[in-house]
Amino acid sequence: MTDVDFRQRSYPVPGPQTTNLADILERVLDKGIVIAGDIKIELLDIELLTIRLRLFVASVDTAKKAGIDWWENDPALSSRASRDALQEENRDLRERLKELESEAPERKPR
Amino acid sequence: MTERGPETSDADTIYVFAVCRDPDPTDVVGLTGVSDDSAVSTLSLGTLTAIVQTVRAADFTDEAWQARLSDQRELERYARAHHDVVSAVAARCPTVPLPMATLYHGERRVREALGEEADRFRAALRRIAHHAEWGVKVYAPPSTRVDRDARDGRDEREGRSDRLERDRRDDPHDPERAPARQVASADRTRPAPGAGLAYLNRKRGAQERRERGQNEALRIAEAVDAEVGGLAKASRRLRPQPQAAGERRVQVLNATYLVAEHRAEELARLTRTLRERTGARIELSGPWVPYSFVGEV
Repeated sequence: MTDVDFRQRSYPVPGPQTTNLADILERVLDKGIVIAGDIKIELLDIELLTIRLRLFVASVDTAKKAGIDWWENDPALSSRASRDALQEENRDLRERLKELESEAPERKPR
Repeated sequence: MTERGPETSDADTIYVFAVCRDPDPTDVVGLTGVSDDSAVSTLSLGTLTAIVQTVRAADFTDEAWQARLSDQRELERYARAHHDVVSAVAARCPTVPLPMATLYHGERRVREALGEEADRFRAALRRIAHHAEWGVKVYAPPSTRVDRDARDGRDEREGRSDRLERDRRDDPHDPERAPARQVASADRTRPAPGAGLAYLNRKRGAQERRERGQNEALRIAEAVDAEVGGLAKASRRLRPQPQAAGERRVQVLNATYLVAEHRAEELARLTRTLRERTGARIELSGPWVPYSFVGEV
């Protein structure tokens, strides 16, 4: 947005000079003092919002990797992902076992 | 923009950015706010003052906001506009920020609604006086978690796909190859004794390293939180932010602290020390207007 300059550099503004949007959103959206306004506006949870925004920021090709998938599949951040990682490993092992078993009988007749 | 509605209904919608104590009316001069149609101004609540702007009602319906939440540029424009007014005012006088998009039907309603909360605003002002908010983010050190595990994972996958390719070359169902295969089967790449066990051990090793890496990263996150929390008046854990595509790093701590102004230098020093000691990437952001510390505690 070059046509709208919201920054006021004429006097000192507290706050990081380079503030990323996610940092601002997680502060201006919820938090703060809870005061009921007359006009009710449903603001999304910051997590949903950043995921939604990430899908816009990323190109269509990388969007799938970037947003929801990344978040949900990182074992460090999600217990479900840890479980999935374990399941994936089990599946790998079972496949490998099947592979080995299917080879074994072929060798016997020799 | 929609068609121009009756001016009266637009004039009735008031956006409130913050509540301050003793602002100078000139503190808001030149601020853009969230609308080009009117200036940001002050509205007296008695001992406190609201920082307000008259906006077009049509731009602030729930429907308009839902559309805005799906448009990154629009959302960013409004979030930064709100943040810039709050930050600018807070630089001049004690300020309690309100959440983005707090709106009232007219000045009378602003006075009523916010006037009733005067005690809470005063308590919040006392709490954050001479304090600033600082954000601290910790990313797992690449050597202990992300890079090594990612490399291990890749090696595993590459190893497996090599193997699969090799097996495919020896495809027993390929009739052309069958006789040759019979002959060659003695020195064929049959798994060496214990190959399966080695594979299992390798898998188990990678899993253990991954767990160790995760535990280590989480331990560092806890240590950083404890140390920074030690010099803060209050702290809050925020949800770790998802990282951009291609970023191998993992955010293991996203926390924010209410720190006295005179301890800002100390915080910067502590952050440097923690970086050196843990090897983790630690980002410090601030000073922020204490958004996260004006709510109920």
